Amino acid sequence: MRPREQTISVGGIDVHAWTGGQGEPLMVLHGAGGNRGWTRWVEQVAQRFTVWAPTHPGFGRSGDAPWMESIDDLARFYLWLIDAAGLGRPHVLGHSIGGWVAAELATMSPRSIDRLVLVAPGGLKPERGEILDIFYHPPAELRTLSVHDPATIPEWDELFGRAPTAAELETAVRNQEMTARLTWKPYMHNPRLARFLPRVTNPALIVWGREDRVVPLDCGEQYRRLLGNATLSVLEKCGHLPPIEQPDTFARLVIDFLRGPIRP
Amino acid sequence: MKLYYFSEMPHHEFPDEEGAKYPSLRLDFPNRFFSPEKARANYQRYLDEYEFADRAGFDGLMINEHHSTPSCVNVSVNMTAGILARTTTRAKLLILGNILPIEDNPVRMAEQLAMADLISGGRVLSGFVRGTGVETWWANSNPVHNRERFEECHDLILKAWTTPGPFRWEGRHYHFRHVNPWCVPLQKPHPPIWIPGTASPETAVWAGRRGYTYVPFLVPFDVARELFDYYRQGAAEVGRTAGPDDFGFLICAVTADTKAKALEAGRHFMWRMGPTLRGPVEYFSPVGMRSRAGTQFAMRARPRSLATMSYDELLDGHYIIAGTPDEVIDRFAHVRRELGIGHLLLEAQESRMDHPTTMRSIELMGAKVIPAMATG
Repeated sequence: MRPREQTISVGGIDVHAWTGGQGEPLMVLHGAGGNRGWTRWVEQVAQRFTVWAPTHPGFGRSGDAPWMESIDDLARFYLWLIDAAGLGRPHVLGHSIGGWVAAELATMSPRSIDRLVLVAPGGLKPERGEILDIFYHPPAELRTLSVHDPATIPEWDELFGRAPTAAELETAVRNQEMTARLTWKPYMHNPRLARFLPRVTNPALIVWGREDRVVPLDCGEQYRRLLGNATLSVLEKCGHLPPIEQPDTFARLVIDFLRGPIRP
Repeated sequence: MKLYYFSEMPHHEFPDEEGAKYPSLRLDFPNRFFSPEKARANYQRYLDEYEFADRAGFDGLMINEHHSTPSCVNVSVNMTAGILARTTTRAKLLILGNILPIEDNPVRMAEQLAMADLISGGRVLSGFVRGTGVETWWANSNPVHNRERFEECHDLILKAWTTPGPFRWEGRHYHFRHVNPWCVPLQKPHPPIWIPGTASPETAVWAGRRGYTYVPFLVPFDVARELFDYYRQGAAEVGRTAGPDDFGFLICAVTADTKAKALEAGRHFMWRMGPTLRGPVEYFSPVGMRSRAGTQFAMRARPRSLATMSYDELLDGHYIIAGTPDEVIDRFAHVRRELGIGHLLLEAQESRMDHPTTMRSIELMGAKVIPAMATG
């Protein structure tokens, strides 16, 4: 099933989005690396859900938002987008900073969304260890630190197998700049988020790679404790990018969770 | 042409092989290699050299500020300016400069500069800089906001200096309910403002519009001329014609009684050309700090990094000038002819250049070079 690309105008910003699939709406919020589009795991999840994968303002082909200051701003923006795009009450899945956006958004308006999937989200300060400073490392080093073993990644060549074009490099810089705008200080976390997470009692699945060297698994345990109705699923031999490191396992987890019974 | 004496106040007091173990001497090199005992003596020595440069006849004493690096342990230009304001009598105090984007309280900065201007009897030349990425990391200031904060901090300082208080400031990055500094500069309307440049065309245009003195640092002559053209473009926008007094240039320079001694001393500048600038690009230019235009200009402006140049190449390119007073006079005159500048800033001490060598260089500059350059 081929996805389509569209532009959703919200608050004066043209948001680029991939949309496709069938079933209940699932909004997918990407990480700092940008919107990778219709990758293998999305293809599988879209068999059961209508996937809406917007590109954050300031990233990729979406319009600029130099006025945004924090992940809260982006979360408020997505609550507006849910209304503007007529998504009803979608499931929300976010990865890395997208997971942080999803968590913030859920605390602001838990009834606006259905189930929540947080994949190695930032947002909480680890009790042990530190979140990797992604701005301090050259891109190649960062990629190595992001995954457990490139050799096991089925889409590695497709995603990273060739040198980026000038346009892709420009997009990568733009993505990084917007990430810096939103997450620089306090770095990659909101000291107040933990206070609000207990408000969220939506069924939630937290997915983490055991070998995540970007956001410590410790944060996943915090999310599980703080959210009212959450399960933590830890993938072995997996780093910070479960959706592309183990796409089939990840897609299965997501489908089973979103279609599964509500836990008491 | 006016000459300015400048020392980075280096702290090269550790075994080089220790520094080489880290990705960079900046940010990463642990401060357990900082020696308070050595620094205690060095600060006295460096201040003595500045004071001697004042007596020797330099037109100005330039001071700068860096953080988290042994290349420069002058960690507060305004503190140093306060000391020199009191202990020197005639040279201008060229503060080049205060790092505006990482400053959280521009009002306090305006007050400190005003106090140095008052104590010195109106000798402050107030340079404002954006800082390197290292300072941005040090301050944990968002690099994406660097230019915006530079401009807003500048605007607030200027207003604090020139507009009677109290007034309120509600900007994007700075918010002050009551701005009413009980310390304003002696010089009116305010101390002259200087802006350095290495690669940003926007900065050159911006300085030209405002009539600030503009000083490229250690760039090839053709790049300096191009930046001066950007400056003139900004000046023309406001109907102003730029002249030599609007332009300066920074090089490394040392003189001695013999050419051999001068060349030996000049080798100390090699440390600031390579080892102290070593490190990942992310340290010096974190994401968002430079505009696209600035990044593109920087790539053109420095086709070869200074670190890849030999000592002879750096001498040939006038990045370093080292010779007898007569030779130095010839080289300075060449720089003046090439660039049409009114101010030459001399980084005149570096690395492990010793005190007697530094003092003799200052003495010879004062006795022979400064008088020769004063005309024209």
